[in-house]
Order: sequence, then structure tokens, then C-alpha cells
Amino acid sequence: MSDIGIKLIYWDRVFEAGFWILVTLFFYCLALRIQRALGGTPLANPVLLAAAPIIGLLVAADIWVGDYMGGGQALLWLLGPATVGIAVPLYRNFKRVRSALLPMGAALLTGSLVAVVSAVLIGEAMGASVETIRSLAPKSVTTPIAMGIAGEIGGYPSLAAAFVILTGIVGAVFGAAFFRLLRIRDERAKGFAMGIAAHGIGTARAFQESEVQGTFSGVAMALNGIVTALVLPLLWLAFS
Amino acid sequence: MTSDRSGELGYEVFVTADAVHGLPQAMRIAGQLLLAFLVLVACDTAGRLLSHWFGLPVPGTVIGILFLLGGLVWFRRVPEAVGRVADFLLAHLNFLYIPAGVGVMTYAALLADDLWPILVALFASTFLAMLAAGFAFIAVARFTEKRGQGE
Repeated sequence: MSDIGIKLIYWDRVFEAGFWILVTLFFYCLALRIQRALGGTPLANPVLLAAAPIIGLLVAADIWVGDYMGGGQALLWLLGPATVGIAVPLYRNFKRVRSALLPMGAALLTGSLVAVVSAVLIGEAMGASVETIRSLAPKSVTTPIAMGIAGEIGGYPSLAAAFVILTGIVGAVFGAAFFRLLRIRDERAKGFAMGIAAHGIGTARAFQESEVQGTFSGVAMALNGIVTALVLPLLWLAFS
Repeated sequence: MTSDRSGELGYEVFVTADAVHGLPQAMRIAGQLLLAFLVLVACDTAGRLLSHWFGLPVPGTVIGILFLLGGLVWFRRVPEAVGRVADFLLAHLNFLYIPAGVGVMTYAALLADDLWPILVALFASTFLAMLAAGFAFIAVARFTEKRGQGE
């Protein structure tokens, strides 16, 4: 085949991607062990605990992130089918979700609005650059949507992606403490608020807490993504 | 699928005389799990394609959730293999987000430019969004539901 000059599969790339997936898996297992040893605390967030040493490794060995992302992209792709799986707990808890439509609607509208407006106002009050503020606005929705919105309103899509991940980690790590502070005990409200504020990474944490929390978080994440994508660019036009 | 056998698969299949029955059984289960995974992939891919083709503001994966949900409602149950694969993937959602976490390092310089506004905005805004959503949920739930319902 090689005499035609077309290579269908770059095996070295495949092996490299496989290697980085294994490295990620190793640090994930380690992170889970640490979290379990600490009694399952959300403070020991697996994304944070695993990503930090990998970043350290890449920096220390002077490896380009793009090399790592060869494997990383495969895992990010897998996020799609995994997220689709939310339909299963959603089906199992269908009655519970259906009976909470009104509370969900109210929480969706107030939550998505506050998530956007508070971020923009705080950014402005503290003198962040325009690009930073515009990239910050969609921080509470899942990465692909946030990137699209940021591009639309004149921010940097890639910077928005970084904000989304950091927001998710903040929400996953401190969500439980926030809820305790606010005395929010309703499992459904906790899950829904988590999904509104901290999208998928918050949802991953919510599923670690309970299936009900995870389900409501997943539903909130999906709805918030849609609402923010529809409303934020219009809101932006109206106020700028 | 007999439940008395599923627990001993790893051993039975390869070692004992039961291999005659065990191997096809193991392959069938593996096949079902693979098929279930492919169902998830198909829903996701179909959703993404639809979203892309029609330029929908709804992300493809969300449409994929609706496809799978529609299927489950249609069949009125969650096939065992689909439930197992979905539960497994959702339990390890964190694993799949790690590359995104690593990707943040690329923007270290940009993040450092506006470090304090960014930090304060991320923490305060996340807190405020949870407060708003959580209290709105509870307030309306209290209004619409009889006492003692829900959790």
C-alpha cells in the first residue's frame, strides 16, 4: 500500500494516543483512590487531581499539549455517548422529573440569568478586559455551546472553554459546601442548581452523590445550554 | 440471561468444562454491551449531525439524549445492557473531562492577565447561580407541591 503514498492509519499516532489515554486512566484511578481515602469528599475532585499532575508531567518533560490531546480528543469524543446515557436515569426518574416541571422552569430562568449577569458585572467591576468578560459570560454551559456563544459575542472561544472547565471544577468542588451554607437540602434542587451553574463537571459530581442529584443536574445542564445559547446573544445585543 | 451464572463468568468461561456453555454466554453478554454502547454512539452521532445540518442552537448531544429517551419510552423499559453501559459511563464522567482540564494549561498566560477578576467572577458567580437556581427551585416546589412530597 505504501507505494501509493497514502497511509490510511498512522500507527505511531494511534500508539501515542493510546499511551496518553493510559496515562490519563492511571491518574484517574489514583485520583479516585485519593478521593475514596478522604471519604469521598468533593474537595478531592478527580478532574482536578488527575489533570494537575498530567499538566505537571507535560511541563516537566517539555511535551507539547497537542501531543497529549491526540489521546485527549478520543476521551472528549466519548463524552458525547456518555452524556447521551443521561436518558437512562432520566427515564428511571421520569415521574419525579415530570412532577417538578414548574420548579425546574423557575430555577432554569433565574439560574441561567444570574450565572451570566453576575459573571459579566463582576468582571466589569473588577476591570477585566472586554475580551475576558465576553469569554466569561457563557461560563456555566457545556464547552461546545460556550465556545459558540463566546465567538458570537466577540470573546475568545478557546478562553471561554478554559473558563467553562474552571467553573465546572469550582462548582463540583464547592457546590456541596455552598448548599450546606445556603441550607438547601432538597436533592432535586441541589442537582438542578449544580447543573445550571457547573454543567457537565458538576453533573459528574452530582452522579457521585446520588442518582436523583445526577439526573436533575443532567437535565439542568441540557436545558441551560439551550436557553443560554438562545438568549445570551440577544441579551448581549440589547445591552451593548 | 441467567443471573446465577453472570457472577462466575470470568472463571467459568476459561477453566472448567462449563466452557462449552460459558463462552457463548460471555460472548453474548459482551456483544450486548457493545451493542448498547453503539446505540449510545448512534444517538449522539445522529443528534450531532442533525444539529449541524440544520444549524440548530441545541447541541447535538442534547438531541441525542432525546433520541435515547424516546427509544426507552417506546420500549417502556431500559434494556439491561443499555442500563449497565450508561450507568458505567455516567459513574466515570469525571474521567472523560480530564483532557479538558489539561487543556486549560494552554491559556495560562491569558488567564494570568486578568487573574483576580477571573477568580472572583468564577467563585462568586458560581455561588450566586447556585443560590438563585436552588432557592427558585425550592420556593416554587413549596408552592406547587403538598407538604411531605418530594425529598
